[in-house]
Amino acid sequence: MQGTKVVRPFPFFRAGARASQPQLSKPILVLEDVYKFFRPDQPTLRGVDLSVERGEFAFITGPSGAGKSTLLKLVYRELRVDEGRVLFCGRDIGRLTDKSIPFLRRNLGIVFQDFRIIDHWTVFENVAVALEIVSMPQRLIRSRVAEALERVGLAGRGPEQTSNLSGGEKQRVAVARAIVPEPALILADEPTGNLDPHLAIDILTLFEEINSTGTTVLFATHDHSLISKRDHRLISIDDGRVSEAQQGLKHWQGSSGIHTLVG
Amino acid sequence: MDMKNAITRARRGLREERRLYIVAVTSLAVAFICLGATLLGVTNLDAAAARWGQSGRITLFLKDDADAQDVAQLRVVLEGLADVSEVTHVTPTQARESFLEEADVGADLSALPSEVFPASLEVALVQGVTRERSESIATRLAQFRAVSDVESYGSWFQKLDQLLWGARMLALGLALLVMFCVVAVIGNTIRLAVARRRQEIEVMKLCGATNGFVRGPFVLEGMFQGFASALLAILALLVGYLALHDSVDSTLAALTGSRVVFLGVWTLVALLVGGAVIGAIGSAVSVRRYLAV
Ligand SMILES: Nc1ncnc2c1ncn2[C@@H]1O[C@H](COP(=O)(O)OP(=O)(O)OP(=O)(O)O)[C@@H](O)[C@H]1O
Ligand SMILES: [Mg+2]
Repeated sequence: MQGTKVVRPFPFFRAGARASQPQLSKPILVLEDVYKFFRPDQPTLRGVDLSVERGEFAFITGPSGAGKSTLLKLVYRELRVDEGRVLFCGRDIGRLTDKSIPFLRRNLGIVFQDFRIIDHWTVFENVAVALEIVSMPQRLIRSRVAEALERVGLAGRGPEQTSNLSGGEKQRVAVARAIVPEPALILADEPTGNLDPHLAIDILTLFEEINSTGTTVLFATHDHSLISKRDHRLISIDDGRVSEAQQGLKHWQGSSGIHTLVG
Repeated sequence: MDMKNAITRARRGLREERRLYIVAVTSLAVAFICLGATLLGVTNLDAAAARWGQSGRITLFLKDDADAQDVAQLRVVLEGLADVSEVTHVTPTQARESFLEEADVGADLSALPSEVFPASLEVALVQGVTRERSESIATRLAQFRAVSDVESYGSWFQKLDQLLWGARMLALGLALLVMFCVVAVIGNTIRLAVARRRQEIEVMKLCGATNGFVRGPFVLEGMFQGFASALLAILALLVGYLALHDSVDSTLAALTGSRVVFLGVWTLVALLVGGAVIGAIGSAVSVRRYLAV
């Protein structure tokens, strides 16, 4: 990022840095035989293999407790794999030192069901925080935050107090915060879980718009109606294992029915 | 670490947690006032000691049967010494009078005959003669035939030194105690602040903030609290000093001939800088413990 004097142990993870040509043609995210144990006898993820290409939009689905959030946490290194590898841009995330984790996260945009918006901050402050942490000059922060707010449909609402916003608007602020550093990959963990159906569609559309500009999006949800409306790649987790459909629910080939698929 | 950003966020933190911080600063100011008051005592005792030490004085008690010629010769020797500024001969009668005047005692003592008071030579030394030098002069003067006894007030200074040493130790002990208080109180306040800002911290961490970035403002806030406590204490002491100055000064001047002084510039600087540094240390320790980033 411009104007930053921070020494990064992983220069490749610099946001906005253009990866080398061979790197660009490789998948952005690869999971190789990943195991995650919370109890020694019962792995939450068992032997997950997954490959996500640059610019993809994929739903991650599965019943409650299947391990959707766990899978995303392995990517942003809230959790560490017990076996196997998670490769982001070719780098083994599991082997990053604690000191390098911030530099990994600067290349990810993370959105949650519960928004994680600071209520006593303004809309602007909530979005700007993602750029302040890399010591970007204020002038640049202002223009980029304004741009991000415009992209999520909150143009000119920066000075407003976040506590006054509706749920849908709060989630838009969270999305703006996730996209403002122009990350390579967006991880959304049930971003529509707290919103009513038509707002959920709005937010989904917002993520699709972001995806159309080239950002890879992983969208975890167990909302059947949402998945069935779109034709995106579907990654389903059940019993710790992954099964996939390349083009949405309609093309689902799995032996189990749709209802076990999305819980 | 981005200092400007850390300062901005520390200011926001100070504003948001002002109630919490005001309580901490007020209680720490009380601790600093205790320390400052003790230091004030030490400073004034020091000043008084320095003053008395400078106006050196030796009393030569003369033998009752001292030869007048020997005494005269002694005076000549004394007046020839570079360290001596003035020599006064005190006769037994004069000694008795000044004793009765100063002691302000009852009629019983006034009946004392003059013979009880030996004649003496009061030797005033020039300004700046060290105590060691005055001791050695005293030892040499004791050799003279006419001299029965020499008083160089060495033991008196020793007592003063002991008193000063005690006061300094008290100040040191208090300083350590205050240090502990600052670390404990600020550490605890910062722990509360960390708990209250847990959500913000989590958001910053998810966005990729480094440990230093997250911890920086808390350390600055602790630093500010330490500094503010010391400053508040100094201001309170100054107000007290100015209010009591006139009455205390005249009493002290009459009693000891020295004037009341306030804490020296370097003591003030040390208090403020010390407060800030210890505050920063306290919050850094706390933030390390309670903010596992
Ligand atoms: N930190 C943890 N410690 C112990 N067990 C955990 C932990 N995190 C998750 N689990 C367990 O792992 C399993 C998967 O949890 P996860 O949160 O990934 O599910 P999910 O698919 O996101 O479910 P939901 O749709 O309800 O959000 C659950 O059984 C959960 O109890
Ligand atoms: Mg979940």
